[in-house]
Amino acid sequence: MTGWFDAAAGWLQESLLLPAMYGLGLMEWEDVSFGWALFAVYGMAQVVVTFALCVPLERWRPVEHWPDSKAVAVDVLYTFISRVGLLPLVTFVLFYKLQVGLNGFLADQGFVPPTLERLIPGLLGHQVVTFLLYVIILDFTDYWRHRLSHVFNWWYALHAVHHAQRQMTFWSDDRNHLLDDVIAFVWFTVIALLIGIPPMQFPLLVLLLRLVESVSHANARLSFGWLGERLLVSPRFHRAHHGVTAAGYVSVNYGALLPWWDMIFGTADFSRSFAATGDPTAEEALATGSYVEQHWVALRRMVREFGRG
Amino acid sequence: MRRILPILLLLLAGQAHAGAVLVMNSGEASLSVIDMASQRELKRIPVLREPHHVMLTPDKRELLVGDTVANEILAFDPNTFELRRRIPAADPYQIGFSPDGKYLVVNGLARAQVDIHDAVSFKLVKRFPLKSMPSHMAFSPDSASVFITLQGTAKLAAIDLRALSVRWIAETGPAPAGVMWHNGRLLVANMGSDDVWVLNAATGKTERKIRTGKGAHQLFPSPDGKLIYVNNRIDSTTVTLDPATLNVVRSYKLPGGPDDIEFAPDGKVWFTLRFVHKVAVLDPVSGQFSTIDVGRSPHGIFLNAKATPK
Repeated sequence: MTGWFDAAAGWLQESLLLPAMYGLGLMEWEDVSFGWALFAVYGMAQVVVTFALCVPLERWRPVEHWPDSKAVAVDVLYTFISRVGLLPLVTFVLFYKLQVGLNGFLADQGFVPPTLERLIPGLLGHQVVTFLLYVIILDFTDYWRHRLSHVFNWWYALHAVHHAQRQMTFWSDDRNHLLDDVIAFVWFTVIALLIGIPPMQFPLLVLLLRLVESVSHANARLSFGWLGERLLVSPRFHRAHHGVTAAGYVSVNYGALLPWWDMIFGTADFSRSFAATGDPTAEEALATGSYVEQHWVALRRMVREFGRG
Repeated sequence: MRRILPILLLLLAGQAHAGAVLVMNSGEASLSVIDMASQRELKRIPVLREPHHVMLTPDKRELLVGDTVANEILAFDPNTFELRRRIPAADPYQIGFSPDGKYLVVNGLARAQVDIHDAVSFKLVKRFPLKSMPSHMAFSPDSASVFITLQGTAKLAAIDLRALSVRWIAETGPAPAGVMWHNGRLLVANMGSDDVWVLNAATGKTERKIRTGKGAHQLFPSPDGKLIYVNNRIDSTTVTLDPATLNVVRSYKLPGGPDDIEFAPDGKVWFTLRFVHKVAVLDPVSGQFSTIDVGRSPHGIFLNAKATPK
């Protein structure tokens, strides 16, 4: 399976990317271009798989029917900015630069920088197992990032953009205030640096997490069953997090990929069925406003919350 | 039985694995071990992150592999390819020993620095921050200078290894990569164009430009000194130059982005092909080549015709 991705990335690099870089005078970046090509191939695969999975799912068993889906349109814009735009590339390059700087500094002090494989030598050579461990660790830390974004009023003011949507679909996963995205990136990066995630795996991790996150936001009456819901976050499980009674500063089901952390830390709620979504406390502009309006209103709300101390 | 028989035959042959090639799979944190006789990959040695280049120590007792993102140099037994030790080093992209065996020079491409280490103790002697992307290196035969291509700023830096200072920085073509000492001159392959520039090693002045192909990347003298091979990444060709005239003698098409080269005693030339994740074995007489599957983005390559990997 990964062989196909490698072959596709190699073809993309040789046939399109490098000739374009040559033409644009960017050949000094030739050595990292394979990472970019691989990133693009996985990104495209993710978009295709998300569409192929979620569109039939939402048509087959929708939770809600809306007279019109105007509010969804802005979520599509969020998705394109977040996934197809330059954002993933910028984050990859930034992460790479940060890792080079920090790890080089540590090496100068005579230390080989931390990696999971150095901590557990048996992992060396078992890339799939190592990859899964990295996923579990990152998902655990993301649980706490998400939970804290509901605890601090100023942070939730930004996160409310995500919760205000009353027409939640698989597009809603990327409906995040840019500042909230930046905080998430910094959080993710610090953790990734501490546990030594290789740059080539970092985008793949993000893509895998986001595929599950997209499905969990789908407007689909879908549960994974008693056991399945306790192994992987399902649309039903995550919908409870977006429910009108769970919005705001005290919520449930914060997990993005694994529900384990909610189960361990007492925030899991498997009892709710397919509730209506949205945040009744949020300004209307956050639900139905334009992309710019949502950003502006959330920012104003954040400043107000800071003012209150 | 059909599967076991060839293995038994190989074991009975005893010397069947004599001669092996080590390939740095920079895109998947592993090294491929290839049996030269059968041209088959025997195994992959896992490493931490991104192995790029490889170099024998002056006493030929250790084979050093630079793992850039892991920030370490791995020291292998050059005959068995067994790992002996790990040495912390910041961003060891390209590594090379001065001909007198005094210094180990480490180019940190991502960190824009050139580190001069003591070749025996590996202690850092001096660091040169050089903008930007120090890529390949070449030494003068008297070990007085090391020349470093600066891929990001289209320059070539000459470092005086006696005074430990930068002697000059000269202009090159765009994205210079490979550099080679050639009779008091320097040949610089410009990846951002289709040519190799000839610079005066004393002054850094450009004397001539030779067109080899788009994405001119790396240069290697053949062991008999009769040819210079130049790999062109965009055109996916390797061309040979006459060392006396520097005129192009012959061009070979090698699809997949040829990068580093090793020369086998039987006259075959081994290339890493970065984009297609293979190694090519070229017969330079007939122009025919075969390929061997290896890991992602194979970069550096080391060939030892007497190696018996364990």
